[in-house]
Amino acid sequence: MKETDSTRMKQHYSKRDYKAYLYLLPWLFGFFALQLYPFIMSFIYSFNDYTVGGKMNFVGLGNYIQLMTKDRDFWNSLKVTILFALYTVPGKVILALLVAMFLNRNIRGINLIRTVYYIPSLFGGSIAVALLWRLMFMDNGIIVTALSHLGLKNVTFLGSPRLALPTITALEVWQFGSSMVMLLAALKNVPKELYEAADIDGANKFVEFFHITLPQISPILFFALLNQMIQELQNFTTPYTITNGGPRKATNVLGILLYKQGFSYFKMGYASAISWVEFTIILLFTLVLFGTSKFWVHYADET
Amino acid sequence: MKKQALSVVLAAAMTAAALAGCGSAGSTGSSAAATTAEAAAAATESGSDSTGEKVTLRFAWWGGDERNAATQKVIDQFTDAHPEVTIEAEPGSSDGYHDKLATQLASGTAPDIVQVDPERMPTFVDSGDYFYDLKEYGADTSLFDANYIGLQINGNYDGKQLGLPTGIAGPAIIVNKDLADKFGIDLQKKDITWEDWIEYGKKVHEADPETYLFCANKEYLTNLFVYPLAKQYDGAVFDEDGKLVLSQESLTKIFKYIKDLYDNNVIAPASYTASYIADDLQSDANWLAGKYVGALCFISTMDVMAAGYPDGNYVAATLPVIKGAKDGGFASNTPQLLAVTKSCKHPETAAAFLNYFFNDKTAEETLGATRSVPPTEQARKICEENGTLSKVVVDAADIATAIGGTPNDKIASSDEAKTIVYDAVEAVGYSQMTPEDAAADVLDQFSSLAK
Repeated sequence: MKETDSTRMKQHYSKRDYKAYLYLLPWLFGFFALQLYPFIMSFIYSFNDYTVGGKMNFVGLGNYIQLMTKDRDFWNSLKVTILFALYTVPGKVILALLVAMFLNRNIRGINLIRTVYYIPSLFGGSIAVALLWRLMFMDNGIIVTALSHLGLKNVTFLGSPRLALPTITALEVWQFGSSMVMLLAALKNVPKELYEAADIDGANKFVEFFHITLPQISPILFFALLNQMIQELQNFTTPYTITNGGPRKATNVLGILLYKQGFSYFKMGYASAISWVEFTIILLFTLVLFGTSKFWVHYADET
Repeated sequence: MKKQALSVVLAAAMTAAALAGCGSAGSTGSSAAATTAEAAAAATESGSDSTGEKVTLRFAWWGGDERNAATQKVIDQFTDAHPEVTIEAEPGSSDGYHDKLATQLASGTAPDIVQVDPERMPTFVDSGDYFYDLKEYGADTSLFDANYIGLQINGNYDGKQLGLPTGIAGPAIIVNKDLADKFGIDLQKKDITWEDWIEYGKKVHEADPETYLFCANKEYLTNLFVYPLAKQYDGAVFDEDGKLVLSQESLTKIFKYIKDLYDNNVIAPASYTASYIADDLQSDANWLAGKYVGALCFISTMDVMAAGYPDGNYVAATLPVIKGAKDGGFASNTPQLLAVTKSCKHPETAAAFLNYFFNDKTAEETLGATRSVPPTEQARKICEENGTLSKVVVDAADIATAIGGTPNDKIASSDEAKTIVYDAVEAVGYSQMTPEDAAADVLDQFSSLAK
């Protein structure tokens, strides 16, 4: 054994080490074929006038200039996308935190309750649920009918350019389960001694929450925020299936703009440019969020 | 060591599986066809398809249950007579069908026989060499009306028959005659005018505030009112060379008419119909409850609409033409084409199947009117005799063909142009744009589509 160890030191890497690549192969294949290749190709497409099945014509920044200066839908879509994320991300994370705190206790059947609360997230991105949402909130839907029985006549949700976006974001907020599970785990990890010490010092629940719970779970909270933000800025299924971007483009997120240009009008170059703009925006938001993290995220090993 | 060996094998297997998955997606045609491709191709070249060589064809279409069942039956009839042929049916919904087809055509993975929307066909024909000329591979079109099948919209592109028309379809308005009589309006009268509809609509909605004259959304308003009116006023939206023909004056008048429809409650408010996108109109809850006198539809969807509220007594409404119209506006053409894609390795077999599909009496009887009024006289006779073609559909086909008109040009029928009009109709419906502004806005965007 000693001998093999010393030869290994000399060789630096043994055959055995290279075997790791074999194990990595399934992932490497997926990464190169399904992520890196489309990533690079879409970047190239975005500088070309490229229609599906047609020839590539290099146009430089033409697609980007057209998008920013001439496209009448772009700025609206950008606004809608950001609003969509602003409505959903805080709502989702706060709701997840509240429910996680509620579920962080030892009562009978708590496991069942936790599962029940997680169920909506299992439907995540499902077309069926989106369609259900549409049926519920359309003008003859159950919600509007119920409201009219309560005396609120002529309420329109999905048909109103003002209310359509909040209505569909409610579906997203409802699917808070994945953040909830993470936050629940984080809450369970907060040392009990801290609360006991605070109790002895006479702190109330409010103070305990802001001075113990929040700092202790802040890394997970940060992760949940980041994850949800990236996900919601990319959201496509919900607005596409419920309202198809309407009414009056009130829910026309960048994803729909991209989809229509690429797959309905076959302008792949232009669609690629939109996707790169969207990517840049997500990158910017992520960097900003990272920048703020040092002010509020508390890591135990940094003290 | 054993564990390690096992994991190596597993890793290798996963990679192989991933590669294989990609491989079959990238190959042309079905995997079964691909493996025997070379041998079978050789066989078809020598014209000996019946030597027992196995041939597998994929056939994709969109449609409802009835069409799916009838098509499957015809497939079974054909494969029973030709045991060497297997036809894999790929029925689907029209929603997203062409987006998927576009991707498949571009990547060479399209099914062998595909149903295509004739208005989408020009875009496909333009963007690549995707379809066989069916006449070259033995398609028999002798039963079709030569003038009809010779139209580009019916599959004839510069003499090449790239698709075969499955029927005759066109715009139609289905009317529940019982309701019309109840309100004392006559939607079947000769020489009806566009203005009559406004008057009727007022009358209906005043008599019953829950009822509207027509069930319509922005997509149907565009296809049945905006485009036909545009053609009646100016002859065309774009001409054959791709130049914009439609004038701002005409389009303003058209949008004023659309505004009148909304303002006078001839149709339901835009915010109500916003939940029913495109063909979802068929599931409009008020239509299902019998609260419209009539609905905008196509000849091919009349039976679907009628099934939505089966208690109605349905007739076809006459269609209005303005005085001094430059074009009838209500063009009738095929609702679908059947085409054979270049990813097909056995175009002769595919053509033989199409011959059976279109020309055989048993097939015609089985198919009935599931793809609207059949394209050949022989099939129409069979359908009328056995009652698969309802009177309302035959009447609607007669009304539309009597008025006639030029089919939508390539630009106006593109998704991009239609979306521009949908948005404008919606803006007018929400009173967020005046007809003048909407017309100017549409023409401004159209001018960038013109060639």
